[in-house]
Amino acid sequence: MVVNKTPLRIGFVSLLLALACAAQDTAIRAAQDTAIRMEGGVFRVAGWQAGAPPAAGWSALLSVYAGVGDIPPLLGTYSVEAGALTFRPRFFLSPGLHVRAVFQPPGGAAREAVFEIPKAAPLEATTRVAHVYPSADILPANQLKFYIYFSAPMGRGDAWHHIRLLREDGSPVALPFLEIAQELWDRDNLRLTVLFDPGRIKRGLASLAEAGPALDPGKRYTLEISRDWLDGRGAVLADEYRKGFRVGPADRAPPEVATWRVTAPRAGKTDALVLHFPKPMDYGLLQHSIAVAGRAGVGGDAAIEGSVAVASDETEWRFTPRQPWTAGAWRIIVQTTLEDLAGNHIGRPFDVDTFDKVTQSVTRETVELTFQVK
Amino acid sequence: MTLRLLTGFCLSAALTFAAGFNMPAGKVTLKSAGALAFGPSGILFVGDSVGASIVALDVDDRTPGDAGASLEIKGVNEKIAAMLGTAADQILVQDVVVNPISHNVYISVSRGRGADAVPVILRASAAGKLTEVSLDNIKHASVTLPDSPTADRQRVETITSLKYADGRVFVAGLSNEEFSSSLRAIPFPFQTADKGTGIEIWHGSHGRFETQAPVRTFVPYEINHKTSILAAYTCTPLVTIPVSELKSGAKVKGTTIAELGNGNKPLDMIVYTKGGKHFILMANSRRGVMKLSGDNLEGYAPITKQTEVTGVPYETIASLKGVQHLDKFDDASALVLMGEGASLDLRTVPLP
Repeated sequence: MVVNKTPLRIGFVSLLLALACAAQDTAIRAAQDTAIRMEGGVFRVAGWQAGAPPAAGWSALLSVYAGVGDIPPLLGTYSVEAGALTFRPRFFLSPGLHVRAVFQPPGGAAREAVFEIPKAAPLEATTRVAHVYPSADILPANQLKFYIYFSAPMGRGDAWHHIRLLREDGSPVALPFLEIAQELWDRDNLRLTVLFDPGRIKRGLASLAEAGPALDPGKRYTLEISRDWLDGRGAVLADEYRKGFRVGPADRAPPEVATWRVTAPRAGKTDALVLHFPKPMDYGLLQHSIAVAGRAGVGGDAAIEGSVAVASDETEWRFTPRQPWTAGAWRIIVQTTLEDLAGNHIGRPFDVDTFDKVTQSVTRETVELTFQVK
Repeated sequence: MTLRLLTGFCLSAALTFAAGFNMPAGKVTLKSAGALAFGPSGILFVGDSVGASIVALDVDDRTPGDAGASLEIKGVNEKIAAMLGTAADQILVQDVVVNPISHNVYISVSRGRGADAVPVILRASAAGKLTEVSLDNIKHASVTLPDSPTADRQRVETITSLKYADGRVFVAGLSNEEFSSSLRAIPFPFQTADKGTGIEIWHGSHGRFETQAPVRTFVPYEINHKTSILAAYTCTPLVTIPVSELKSGAKVKGTTIAELGNGNKPLDMIVYTKGGKHFILMANSRRGVMKLSGDNLEGYAPITKQTEVTGVPYETIASLKGVQHLDKFDDASALVLMGEGASLDLRTVPLP
């Protein structure tokens, strides 16, 4: 018997081919349906059922790159949610970024998706320099610092490009400030402390001899803060800021509490106690270096609560108590760390002249003044 | 005279302390991450100026690194920014240190420049791979700096330099209100009772004028089995101070051994030995990287009068321009973060 097997063979092969084609179609459809989606900053692989994680971790299958060039993938965490491989970046993606997500299914062709994170809307320039201390327009030649207050939080890391000290002819003074990379901000980026380079203030240093002082007595200067300094949102300032001032002689005399004048408040009122200084004091330190307490030893040791205001170009310290004053003796307790504009402390100059017995440093932490409330 | 970098101590101590310090594991929340330093047994100290604290992290990285390894990550700030989902101009690299045991590099970064900036600690392996040091569950201990009330939003003491030597963490800080020194010595392991009292550091070697001068940066070193710190004040002069004098409440006057010229601010210093001689390598803000002889430091007559640039002899390393951070990588190499434009490179360079 002759059995012709050919048709059967052909039929079987055709079936295999058909099955193979169908499988291929399914594979193609699956690949076409597999897509990387980004919703709310979260990346998901749709159309692919995630099984057990590969030995090298999910990052072997899905990586997201923020930016261009030779860069490592975004930091983030992987999970499988409703069967979909999901990637949550560690941080939100900044506006304007070009993002590329690459999915490499096991044994399949890689899929890639590109997302453009929308650029932020142009920001309105609203932040201003609110004030610069010292407020006075005559400063000692050995002025130690400026406090620059802003109306809104600023950005860090770029301060020294935006602060200049100009001479009367508009030429900039070279390196007048201590340009430290860390920048001396407060906790909210609202106030920057700018120290003059102590190497150009302190007597007896090579740098003072080499470059001279930053400020010459009798001359006029301008502190200039440029408008293109970016605030915490990334917007430029609303305006350039300029503070002009004249330079007086160097001040090497420590502040003397005995020369301060007290305007005492009246009993039964919440009038301000006013301290008048014969020269301006440091604005920042005035906020917390002076306290008011009752007579020592009669239950009046603790400082009373109240609010502090500084006025008249930092020559006035005003204290308004929360409770009305009671008649009797009161004390004003002053930390000796309080400085004048040139960094002279109570009882000790900025740089102590060890040959001069008059300026030996004091070791007390506080000094006191008394006043009577009637 | 023997002089060696204290990281040598760390290496030998690694075996002794291999189990690590007994610090509880948990989540660490930093308010900022600035100055970094390595202590014994791979403990990483992080200076958190905004949080007014020093945090000790057990980064669990005690496998000795290969001898003769090198590292190069070009555009490291751009790579870090990409990992953190932002642009390179929106991150600030705050400090870079080398784990003396593993030679892995640790980087403190601020993501963002505003008051809402987020601190991140990253690790770079010798192969150049960057990973984040997760703070979600890490063995740690912290100490709050005294007299730095975080409730006061304005007063901040910025930690400018941090180093570990002889069982203590030394912290140099600069107040944003008061011009004074605030070098602190804090015993480690941290103790509740002793947070380290401030030490008055005076600068007074000009024969006449003394200032309570803030220390900008410093490095511990050892001479004849006596540990000293080599410190640079904000007003530039380089001084030596024996560590034994750095006691709580002490008034210490540094001995000036060099003045380095106007406007020149030392950023980082390392101490090393080459060809039997001892050297100090110092990255500066204006005058490049300087190499100073570390031999006979104690033999230099203190500078006691106003002088031109003088004291310990030094040379400037012309090939190293734009160095922002410097640390010792191993006995043959230094690690530098450098760049003169917007792009920064992290790489090892042979010790000159």
